[in-house]
Amino acid sequence: MAVTTIGAGLSLWRNVRVQRFVVQAVFAAALAAFGYYLFTQARELDLGFDFLNGRAGFNISNQVWTNYDSNDLRRELYIAGVVNTVRIAGVGIALATLLGLVAGVARLSGNWLLSRLALVYVETARNIPLLVQIVFWYIAVLLQLPRLADSMTAFDMAFLSVRGLALPWVQTENGFGLWLIFLTVAAVAAVAVRQWRGKREERTGQPSYPNWVALGTFVAIALVGFAIAGGPLSPDRPEIGERGFRYDGGLFISAEFTALLLALVTYTGAFIAEIVRGSIQAVPKGQTEASAALGLNPFQRLNLVILPQALRIMIPPLTSQYLNLTKNSSLAVAIAFPELVGVSRTIMNNTGQTIPMFVIVMATYLLMSLIISLVMNTLHRRTTLVEH
Amino acid sequence: MATIVRTSPTPILRRARRWAKDNLFGSVGNTLLTVVTSAILGFVLYQILRFVFITAEWEVIETNRRLLFIGRFPAGEEWRFWPTIFVASALAGLTWGLWSRLEWQAAMILAAALVPVFAFFAHGELALLTAAAVALAVLGYGLAQLWLTGSGYSAAARQLVMVGWVITFPLTIFMLLAFGGVDPSLWGGFYLNILLAVVGIVVSFPLGVLLALGRTSSYPVLRVASTAYIELIRGVPLITILLMTWLVLPIFLPSIAVPVLAPEGLDDMELTYRVMVALVLFSAAYVAEAVRGGLQAVPRGQIEAAQALGMGTFSVLAFIILPQALRAVIPALVGQFISLFKDTSLIFIVGSTDLLKAGRAITQGQIEFSSQEKEVLLFVALVFWVVAFSMSRLSQRLERTMGVGER
Repeated sequence: MAVTTIGAGLSLWRNVRVQRFVVQAVFAAALAAFGYYLFTQARELDLGFDFLNGRAGFNISNQVWTNYDSNDLRRELYIAGVVNTVRIAGVGIALATLLGLVAGVARLSGNWLLSRLALVYVETARNIPLLVQIVFWYIAVLLQLPRLADSMTAFDMAFLSVRGLALPWVQTENGFGLWLIFLTVAAVAAVAVRQWRGKREERTGQPSYPNWVALGTFVAIALVGFAIAGGPLSPDRPEIGERGFRYDGGLFISAEFTALLLALVTYTGAFIAEIVRGSIQAVPKGQTEASAALGLNPFQRLNLVILPQALRIMIPPLTSQYLNLTKNSSLAVAIAFPELVGVSRTIMNNTGQTIPMFVIVMATYLLMSLIISLVMNTLHRRTTLVEH
Repeated sequence: MATIVRTSPTPILRRARRWAKDNLFGSVGNTLLTVVTSAILGFVLYQILRFVFITAEWEVIETNRRLLFIGRFPAGEEWRFWPTIFVASALAGLTWGLWSRLEWQAAMILAAALVPVFAFFAHGELALLTAAAVALAVLGYGLAQLWLTGSGYSAAARQLVMVGWVITFPLTIFMLLAFGGVDPSLWGGFYLNILLAVVGIVVSFPLGVLLALGRTSSYPVLRVASTAYIELIRGVPLITILLMTWLVLPIFLPSIAVPVLAPEGLDDMELTYRVMVALVLFSAAYVAEAVRGGLQAVPRGQIEAAQALGMGTFSVLAFIILPQALRAVIPALVGQFISLFKDTSLIFIVGSTDLLKAGRAITQGQIEFSSQEKEVLLFVALVFWVVAFSMSRLSQRLERTMGVGER
């Protein structure tokens, strides 16, 4: 064997190739044995995914975009749970980013009071466990609100009660589909116009306001389309239902969703604020001074010079915060908001199929992590290109 | 400017006015910002103060302090806590004094939060014992600052303190289980949160080091397996792992009886231990990523030099790579400990009586306090905050004093 000739003069045990082979073989064998053990233990169980096609037998609240009930299949209710996770994660990521950006910039403000206030917020929010915050908002704040029939209200337009928040919203009318087509056209036109004005600015040096012109184009086409489609949206005001059980009309946001959102946004916002602060501080001070010397005002300095450079540093840690927020939304189980873990728990209880259900839940989370990572990595690549 | 200061020291009032002008009222925008901020701040502060000193009824905390801090731990067994607490506070004082200096600002904030709480809730024997623990911490800090730091003994003292920390962990477990012992299902309250976080980080540390070595290893089988484990765990929320150890683990474990840990057989392990398993499995992946960062920070030349000296793979690892890598990783590990500590509140979901669950149990089970949700939850938040905040300050300090570049 080649191995022995190379290692001639040395004992077999000291030979690097032998070591490599033996260590890996032993490890692989141990893993295989462990896997086989798990398999033998699981063999007696009835494992399979057929139970997902059974009648659910339970209903979940907080359904948006989906409308399943207890007669629908388990997998359909699971999808409704996934939709809830996506919904809370999407809204949460957007709001947490906004809050983090504001708090992070405020932390660096020259105004002593404002920067201290931001510091107090950050140190408070990130040092209290998220679950404690969720439970606090839900139990100690939202559940102390008046009954639905005695809702607090602002000008009879918005209502707040123990059940949740009802906001004025819009209702779609006939012709909404037509308007959607107009909106798509408007978006395409806006992108094209933005590129054209941007090129023009680069070529001629004349200020061409690509963003404003693009926005104007979009609004103009959207408005024309709105008129042509015959006004496909109408205002939809919420009101307290007849027997005081529910709100009719409007946009309803349940107390569970609100509590979860409040806690997730304040918690993650504090971490994002620290990331924003660190990234801004990582931009060389000379950049600020140079842009000040060029006569840019503080807002322009931040918006045109500092933030674009800070963004590049910010994106990788921001990605991990987005992933954290998505995973943390599973704490909703504590306040019975039916997101994917909550729905899975109910399915597990009803069917006893814990193991397949865990496999599905884990796969779902991994898939979501993958999607967020992909989006953020693409963004990262595009912002790094700006440097050239 | 400097000459003026030297000839006639600026009066404090003028200095204050100058500071206010620079920091609060520099321009119209800045003044506006100050006014708006103070309005918000004033409102929030007023609400908080009014609640804390007027509306709130803190009796609920005083009555239930035992439940909050030690859960359903049997009466008459409290002596089991104090040796650990004393040793830990002395060590904490020494650690602060040896590795960093107390930040007065942070210390004042902590004292402001803790002294009134202490004065209100601790009476009699408890007050004495707590005061003794605090005194030990201060003594340790003073000893370290006054005599040890900068003297010839500081390196030896640091090693001793580290050994002390390592011993504290088995001491804690020993005190809970020895001399008749207390059933783990009765461990609870805030003590359980701390215990779980410590067990989690201590036990997951060696696992994390192994995983990190596996992930950076040149052996493909080890690399793939470690990477798969780390990424799988980091990709799913802790709660799924907690639920799995709660519901699935008993199915897969054999019914072999293990003394102390599982006398009824592994498949019938106490929930408290199963929660520990979950936290360890979870934390190991994050520790591994922190350690991997440290491993990558060790210059390649160090390894090559060691190999050139004829050191074997194991010696290079144990004497060259790990000592340097792990030192660089300490701040990240403290950060991981804080996050694990906050995560221990999740055991509330599987039904262990931690601080949060104890708080919920008060308002759910005691009819006279059923409307004191706000008081209880704010107190729970305060307790978590005090520990997490002081640890995070420590980790920031360590980052500055132990940074790889500045060593």
